[in-house]
Amino acid sequence: MLFGYLDAGSGSLILQAILGGAAGILVAFKAWKARLMGKRALTEAGTEAEAVVEEPAVPTDS
Amino acid sequence: MYRADPGSFRDPASHIVFADDRVIRLLDERGLAGWKALAATDFFAKATADGRLIASKQIEPPPDADAAAALEHPLLPFVSYPYEWTFSMLRDAALLQLDLLAESLAAGLTMKDATPYNIQFVEGRPVFIDIGSFEPYSPGEPWIGYRQFTRQFLFPLMMRAYAGVPFQPWLRGNPEGPSAGDMRNLLGFWQRMRPSTLLHVSLQARMEARMSGTAVRGELKTAGFNADLILANVRKLRKLVEGLDWGGSAAGWIEYESCQHVGRDRETKTRFLESALADLGATRVLDLGANDCHFAERAAAQGVTAVAVDGDEPVLDAVYQKGTSVSIVLSDLTNPSPSQGWAERERPGLAGRARPDLVVAYGLIHHLIYTASIPPSAVLDWLADFECPVLVEFVAPDDEMVAKLTANKVEAELHPGRDQSEFESALRKQFTVASTETLGEGSRTLYRLLPVTAAQGATGRE
Repeated sequence: MLFGYLDAGSGSLILQAILGGAAGILVAFKAWKARLMGKRALTEAGTEAEAVVEEPAVPTDS
Repeated sequence: MYRADPGSFRDPASHIVFADDRVIRLLDERGLAGWKALAATDFFAKATADGRLIASKQIEPPPDADAAAALEHPLLPFVSYPYEWTFSMLRDAALLQLDLLAESLAAGLTMKDATPYNIQFVEGRPVFIDIGSFEPYSPGEPWIGYRQFTRQFLFPLMMRAYAGVPFQPWLRGNPEGPSAGDMRNLLGFWQRMRPSTLLHVSLQARMEARMSGTAVRGELKTAGFNADLILANVRKLRKLVEGLDWGGSAAGWIEYESCQHVGRDRETKTRFLESALADLGATRVLDLGANDCHFAERAAAQGVTAVAVDGDEPVLDAVYQKGTSVSIVLSDLTNPSPSQGWAERERPGLAGRARPDLVVAYGLIHHLIYTASIPPSAVLDWLADFECPVLVEFVAPDDEMVAKLTANKVEAELHPGRDQSEFESALRKQFTVASTETLGEGSRTLYRLLPVTAAQGATGRE
């Protein structure tokens, strides 16, 4: 992985794949899908975490 | 002891310092790895030999520099910025950027940025000067400089070619260049429907807005991104850039050449210049209001560095396209490029970069006085600020060109001090007159002026 000093722009990076032609469109689709899946996994993990938090750590009964 | 180049600091891996007139690039460990990879390729040897890459030689870093390695480059005769270039100059610079990227990818390298500030014009040809831009290509990595390429090369060219809007004021106001969103807003409906603008402008604007701040490089690599996709994009971009035309014609050039006084006075003015060059031993000539660069080119033919400044893009573009050995600067002399960028030092102003030892102002000051309403005394102050000899052409109020320039002005709208006697009286406050020559029918006079202090030191006159 290179670490550039330049902000390459996320949308512009994905766009490059599309601009590469038919093979690139497939790559862009796969990257978009992977990102979507990752987002969903994150969302699910977040929901589970929230569910845990919803259980009060300390009884609040007075 | 060395001093940092105030315009070279953004890349932590590589930056320029000066030691007197020597240009030294300091590299950190990452920069050194990039240099070693580049220097080992045939591509580097070929691109350096054909003049597209600046010459580089590895040297010992200065003892007081914190660097893993150092390179030395030749000193450029003059540095210009993209907002001082004509359309064809920016287009040729864009093509050079794309060609070098394609060739470096074929050699297993990539380029970490894509900015016209990495390109300079030497002897009328674009030369890539940022050796630190190259580094080994890591499989699966996209082209990091694509967005920068569109903002600083493609969109400015499209702005002119598709919307008829000059890119120079935009780049001077915002050196990062227009964003995809800005560019989309500049284009009309039918211009947005072109395949090139749909993809590079509209789609990029939309994707940038939707995906800002999202990490995608890992996903692209996993999905199979590779250098062939960059090459395919670069090939198409090259074709697109090559096809962009701004419709600028050399009409201005032809019109200028046909002016009666141009042909009549040209040889006399040339002799006056050549005689000054010989007498003064000048090495850096700044031609202000250079028009077709005839005089700057005659100076360059004598072996001096010549910088030609004019505000007429069609004429300068025609000069560039025919090939020239002078450094062309497109700039309005009533509003020349200021010092700007970070800390107002990153991009020095025009006068600070030119550092002339002879200024030529032929056919210029009457335009400043009568068209731009600059008082004659202020024009002389400005010329004196260069602190070097000046060749200036004075045009009297009864000259036919002045009559044209003042056709719609009344006396009260003009500054005083326009007569030749008043002009001579004013100039003697800051200059001595070394020689004069009357042109044509007598309404124009050439003066060789020496700054008072220099003249006193050199000749003891006045």
